[in-house]
Amino acid sequence: MTAALALDLPALAAALLATLACGTLGNWLVLRKEAITGDAIAHAVLPGLVAGFLVTGTRSMPAMFIGAALAGVAAIALSTLVRRATRLGSGAALGIVFTAFFALGVLLLETQGARQVDLDPECVLFGSLETLFYVAPQDAPWHAGVPVEIWTLAGAAAVAIAFSAAFGKELSSLAFDRAHARLSGTAPRAVERALLAVVSVAIVASFTAVGSVLVLALLACPALIAAPHARSVRGQIVLSVAVGGALAAGGYMLAAHAESVFGARSALNAAGMIATLLALAVPCSHLVRAALSSRSA
Amino acid sequence: MSGDAIGANTLGVLAGCMLFGALAGAVGTFVLARRRALVADVAGHAALPGVALAFLAGEAIGLGGRTAWLLLLGGAATALLAAWCVPALARLRRVGNDGAIAVTLAGFFGLGAVLFSVVQSHPAGSQGGLRTLLFGSAAAMGRSEVVALAVLATATLALLLASFRGLTAVAFDESFAQSAGLPVRALDLLLTVLLVATVVAGMQVAGIVLVVAMVITPAAAARALGGRIARVTATAALIGAATAALGVVASRTTTGVPTGAAMTLAATAAFLVALPSGRLLQRRTA
Repeated sequence: MTAALALDLPALAAALLATLACGTLGNWLVLRKEAITGDAIAHAVLPGLVAGFLVTGTRSMPAMFIGAALAGVAAIALSTLVRRATRLGSGAALGIVFTAFFALGVLLLETQGARQVDLDPECVLFGSLETLFYVAPQDAPWHAGVPVEIWTLAGAAAVAIAFSAAFGKELSSLAFDRAHARLSGTAPRAVERALLAVVSVAIVASFTAVGSVLVLALLACPALIAAPHARSVRGQIVLSVAVGGALAAGGYMLAAHAESVFGARSALNAAGMIATLLALAVPCSHLVRAALSSRSA
Repeated sequence: MSGDAIGANTLGVLAGCMLFGALAGAVGTFVLARRRALVADVAGHAALPGVALAFLAGEAIGLGGRTAWLLLLGGAATALLAAWCVPALARLRRVGNDGAIAVTLAGFFGLGAVLFSVVQSHPAGSQGGLRTLLFGSAAAMGRSEVVALAVLATATLALLLASFRGLTAVAFDESFAQSAGLPVRALDLLLTVLLVATVVAGMQVAGIVLVVAMVITPAAAARALGGRIARVTATAALIGAATAALGVVASRTTTGVPTGAAMTLAATAAFLVALPSGRLLQRRTA
């Protein structure tokens, strides 16, 4: 493996796997008009992540996973409670709860010495794609050198795809007609809770590598890019992941090689670059659709 | 900024932060009534690219990167642009308000992350740079920053009071406002301008990421306590000022806690107290 590939390949793999995990599930959130729920969960998991870290004292993945998933589910439940107890609307209820959770997470991070390990508030926001390296092991099989983030993301992507394939029918009938879905034997509550849990898993897996800004972009943008062109839900998912993956790879390369591309002083933040491209592609995709349909009309 | 200078400034910083808290509470009352809570979140995050551009521009023209008024201007410009993007994107088919908020936030904050990395690699940005702006730091505020905050917050508060009746009509009864011949669109735009001014005034103190909490949580607490609009606005301003002060004191006595996180938790505590208290008050009067 050449030196350049060893530098870029782990980060590229992480970005693509995160696109696969979050981009697939984002389609269900967008169909349900819940794109912002992903953002709320992405902020709310922080205290659980830090608590899992503090309890075990290491960056042990299972402990951080359990803590973060619990925090994500608790935040959604609490915001439902706040919405019912007040007349504030769902946006304000989500805002009150997820800022409180995020603030608690920042407080824990800064006071409990978690900063000594590479879990600092800045990389929670902007990710640390740039720090994923592959070091070829001396006397172990090749895969021993793959960073743990990659394995976690691969697992999350597999869960996201399996969940979407297994419950695709239920999820789409719920998204389009909740009453009909209930009558035809789907348990809406159970499927909705399962979706939230799987989204939490994808968010937590993506979190440490790509940061909250890119998680939010991956949950909302690919689905919204594909929506005007797709004829079926399955088509929308496939298209969203394909376009999202291309933009993720392109954005990473632009940022990592900014010195030669833009003449920048150093490499730029890759997660931010990918998020910017994804967001810009949403209105562009709608413009393309409008131009195509006016030509055929 | 030496330690002594900050010590002499402490009262000024505290007063500035309380002024911001009062403004955020008052503006928040109208933001909640118009169901714009998440637009406040977008505006906060979207200030980051503007602030980073202002830092680089300040360095380029020799004013220095951390020129307070330049940072405020840059942050306000991109936050306003984002506030305009949300309704524009929401009009696209199948995007909707929810998708528009998510896409705008991701795009502007993503661009902010890219420009932030440019600032951090800039020779002038390597010592601290804009890091304190992410989660807020009252301790890092110098005299010029306190003055800029006080001027902007006072002007915004005056504008809010001057247009109080019109804003109330639009926020609580749009159809009445329309039939009474009020300029509904202009008043809506005014509310957006007030919101953006509040958010950028508070970003030094509360931080770009958590400033939204100071806009919505004290106002939500005041609404839970009930009453007419003028009273709710005044209560929200009081709660905002008190929680801002608490946040500043807590972050100064506990080392390492960012001011924004401390303020957010103080405001959340106020909301948790107000929610059952409001129920009790309403039961007694009923």
